[in-house]
Amino acid sequence: MAEQQYSAPESVTRLEQRAFVVGAVALGLAALGALRSPETFYPSYLMSFLLVLGLALGSLGLVMLQHLTSGHWGIIIRRPLESATRTLPLLVVLFLPIAISGMKHLYRAWLDPEELHKEPLSKFQQGYLTHNGYLVRALIYFAVWLALMFIFNGLSKQQDTNREDRALRRRLKMLAGPGIILYVFAMSFAAIDWVMSLSPHWASTIYGFLFVAGQLVSSMSFMISTVVLLARTEPFSNVLQARHLHDLGKLLLAFVMLWAYFDFSQLLIIWSGNLPEEITFYRTRLYGEWGVVAVIVLVFHFFVPFFLLLSQDLKRNRKVLPRIAMWLILMRLVDLFWMTRPEFTSRAVPTWLDLLLPIALGGLWLGFFAFNLKQCPLLPLGDPGLAEAIKHHEH
Amino acid sequence: MEQRSHIYGVLAEFATPEQLLEAVKKVREAGYRHIDAFTPFPVEGLYEAMGLKRNNVPLITLLGGLAGGIGGFGFQYWVNTLAYPMNIGGRPLNSWPAFIPVTFELTVLGASLCAVFGMLALNRLPHPHHPVFNVHRFKHASSDRFFLCIESNDAKFHVEECARFLHDLHAHHVTEVAND
Repeated sequence: MAEQQYSAPESVTRLEQRAFVVGAVALGLAALGALRSPETFYPSYLMSFLLVLGLALGSLGLVMLQHLTSGHWGIIIRRPLESATRTLPLLVVLFLPIAISGMKHLYRAWLDPEELHKEPLSKFQQGYLTHNGYLVRALIYFAVWLALMFIFNGLSKQQDTNREDRALRRRLKMLAGPGIILYVFAMSFAAIDWVMSLSPHWASTIYGFLFVAGQLVSSMSFMISTVVLLARTEPFSNVLQARHLHDLGKLLLAFVMLWAYFDFSQLLIIWSGNLPEEITFYRTRLYGEWGVVAVIVLVFHFFVPFFLLLSQDLKRNRKVLPRIAMWLILMRLVDLFWMTRPEFTSRAVPTWLDLLLPIALGGLWLGFFAFNLKQCPLLPLGDPGLAEAIKHHEH
Repeated sequence: MEQRSHIYGVLAEFATPEQLLEAVKKVREAGYRHIDAFTPFPVEGLYEAMGLKRNNVPLITLLGGLAGGIGGFGFQYWVNTLAYPMNIGGRPLNSWPAFIPVTFELTVLGASLCAVFGMLALNRLPHPHHPVFNVHRFKHASSDRFFLCIESNDAKFHVEECARFLHDLHAHHVTEVAND
């Protein structure tokens, strides 16, 4: 077989430039909103941050899952996944506004002495939910994720040059298991710190897993859209086959179901217990305007994609599958809106910042992703399973 | 066809899956439609090469899942609101969140039972005897040989012609299969 370089096509550069421009313009406009009313800016910012964080961290999880299980699906999307994990430095930067000035607007319930006086927290919570504790822990989470990012990207790059070195494959596999545990642990604590503490009197033990499952949905959706987009031009057009899309679609269905399973488990347990301090979460989210959003999430984040993804033909369809995937990314945003915003307002109406900030952060993230994608060959050339993964079975 | 009814078909033996795949393609090109292949393990591409149509197992599975799910939910609804209404912790009689786990389980049960038994029914299994078992060497189909059978109910079937054709495709052994 002739040696191919599999370098990123022109279209990736175009995407990078456009995404950066759109992201920067949108961020500039949104910054005006931050000056005018930080009270409405930061909830939107947190929601948008969580969406792009999900794209990066979900990819980190999938990279490790791929090393652990080594399926053909994973070899096809490994480089896009790795490029998505390498956006984590950008996410550190994007976290700074929250750390510097956003905290006092977002976490009133445990930072504002007046609020604390009205509804006191337990001794343990008072010790845990502190300004400095929050920042130190955020540093630890990012350190864990960045370390995993460096390990898996570094070894993968070595594989490109030392193609005969089978020890690399074993090391990647050995590290992937503990890596997944670390990622989920750090994400669980991050979900508690960054989102659950918006309402510190309420607690749910499955909260971190809800975010992990949501991140896997976002990341897999993004990967499906990416490979289909890449397959429009050489060299990926010769690589991507219906069977790959079929596998990715099956995994997307599994992640959608996993997300629904976790979300429903939380509802079932809290609904059964019906305890005053727990049920508040659903009292605010299942009635009134937020009840409408809840139904939208149930129908369009679960039922519609679930029944569509059951079909084998749709999973193999290059036109339909990426549409379902992009729709799911949008639904992730609606779900995050439903998770975070009711803590600030009973009106379930998006503000102009809720439209602008996802475009701003998403644009910058996408630009950085495209930039990363150009740095390596589009396929892991040193992976022992590559030849088998991209083989065409003649019909 | 009546006068040939003592012959089930012509069976050819191949050493490798590639030879079998090649033969299947040639046989299909030559216009034979009633063919069957026997391999010790799943051979990728064989399904497509034989021109098999999609089967109905997914549809049967979907129907089984829907029946299980609707039945599971419906039964709980009927018991809790109509047949034996009981006040449990002040919750509404139609406590649908509590019904979901059982509904889910019965959806899975209905779907998987229908998938397994639907598959068996469509395959007409269990099938203790098959004419190709009359060929002594056929026992290798479960270890290291690949077989292709052109069946006598094919419109183009002719014993000598089929045998010659299969020989030309590098079959190791070509045998007539008796129908009993």
